[in-house]
Amino acid sequence: MQVLDFDYMLGLVPVLLRYLPLTLQMAAVGMVLALVLACGLAVIRVLRIPGLNAATLLFISFFRGTPLLVQLFLFYYGLPQLMAFLTQINGVTATIMGLTLHFSAYMAESIRAAIVGVDRSQTEAALSIGMTNGQLMRRIVLPQATRIAVPTLMNYFIDMIKATSLAFTLGVTELMGATQKEAAGSFLYFEAFITVAIFYWIIVELLAWFQRRLEIRLNEAYRR
Amino acid sequence: MIKRIALTVLAAGFMTAGSLAQADEHAIKVGMSGGYFPFTFVEQDKLQGFDVDVMEAVAEEMGVEVEFVTANFSGLFGMLESGRIDTIANQITITEERADKYVFTEPYVYDGAQVVVKEGNEEIEGVEDLKGKTVAVNLGSNYEELLRELPYADEIDIRTYESNIEQDTALGRVDAFVMDRVSASQVIKEKPLPLALAGQPFSKIRNALPFRDTEQSRALRDRVDAALASLRESGELEAISEKWFGTDITRP
Repeated sequence: MQVLDFDYMLGLVPVLLRYLPLTLQMAAVGMVLALVLACGLAVIRVLRIPGLNAATLLFISFFRGTPLLVQLFLFYYGLPQLMAFLTQINGVTATIMGLTLHFSAYMAESIRAAIVGVDRSQTEAALSIGMTNGQLMRRIVLPQATRIAVPTLMNYFIDMIKATSLAFTLGVTELMGATQKEAAGSFLYFEAFITVAIFYWIIVELLAWFQRRLEIRLNEAYRR
Repeated sequence: MIKRIALTVLAAGFMTAGSLAQADEHAIKVGMSGGYFPFTFVEQDKLQGFDVDVMEAVAEEMGVEVEFVTANFSGLFGMLESGRIDTIANQITITEERADKYVFTEPYVYDGAQVVVKEGNEEIEGVEDLKGKTVAVNLGSNYEELLRELPYADEIDIRTYESNIEQDTALGRVDAFVMDRVSASQVIKEKPLPLALAGQPFSKIRNALPFRDTEQSRALRDRVDAALASLRESGELEAISEKWFGTDITRP
């Protein structure tokens, strides 16, 4: 077996660091947008708003039922053939759109589960002292649902960071794209891909640390 | 606090999106994979190779800027089709199907299809020995078509790859791969993979730059063609070829 080329791996680190911001940025923007969209979808599902409920079900069914890569190709290569102005959408935007729609479908279901998971007695108590539906949601249900939803939502965020590695198929050179091109130039596949694997691993570990801190804070009210 | 972070992130996202979407009239947008040594590849974040040099020379001749867009090979024609790039400089071979759909410049590289095997494999000595073997080709490349045209195509197990066919042949996961002779020789010479050429090239190929078949794109094609012709005349095209291959691959 050949010996690992450590110098090459070290040389790759500053190169990959240059592409890290784009990866994080696509995931962060995608996450914020997906959270907003997912909250809306979840509320529609919980309140069973007529009409919108059926549309939401269809939305979730499609975006959960088809692979992310297919959705990305559809937005980036497919739609511009139908509507020429959509060529304006560049790879970064298409990736963020794809991540947002895809993950919001999953997140909507886990947020809905969190809302439903808040004990029924909480709702009854709130209504008995005359709270409106809006007050009930804002003051009682959503804060408690947040605590329940955080672990699964963090899971989706982690998944989303790794899903940005599909963006190179849309011409976006992010962490994975930069690695693929470097590997093609050097033919040192193991060194290149283990380096990028460590990159993703460290990012996810940092997030997991943040998640533990967040959960401790959210659980403060429940400590006895 | 969280709201402010979210807004900053959003703003940053849209700013990059905006700056990337701007079209430039005085630039030619050239798509390439960045993963086809030594035509287009990256070392220490620097895009380089034969096709990079050729396109830079062409742009200079035309008096425009050149903007390289890198994407996976299978995405390149989609980008051309959807108008995101003007042409592809990635050793695109002129095939009948492509010529129906796109307009090409004059060929700027003349080459042959080559079978490559793992070093020490003496079973395969040319394309006629591929019967019953597993052969790797790049997805969307014309080599798959070339193999399918062989009379014994049914007996070849053709595997299409997104990338890394050299590596899988060296690992022995497939018996051989087919690529153009020039880059195959270059890979064997310069890279630490145990590979060997098997026999002679088996098909003539001509590579050129494809453009969309629209009035505007055809006009651009004509300008690129003129630039290529004058580079050929001045000997600059040959010089670029000599630099990368030590031989002139730009003439039949």
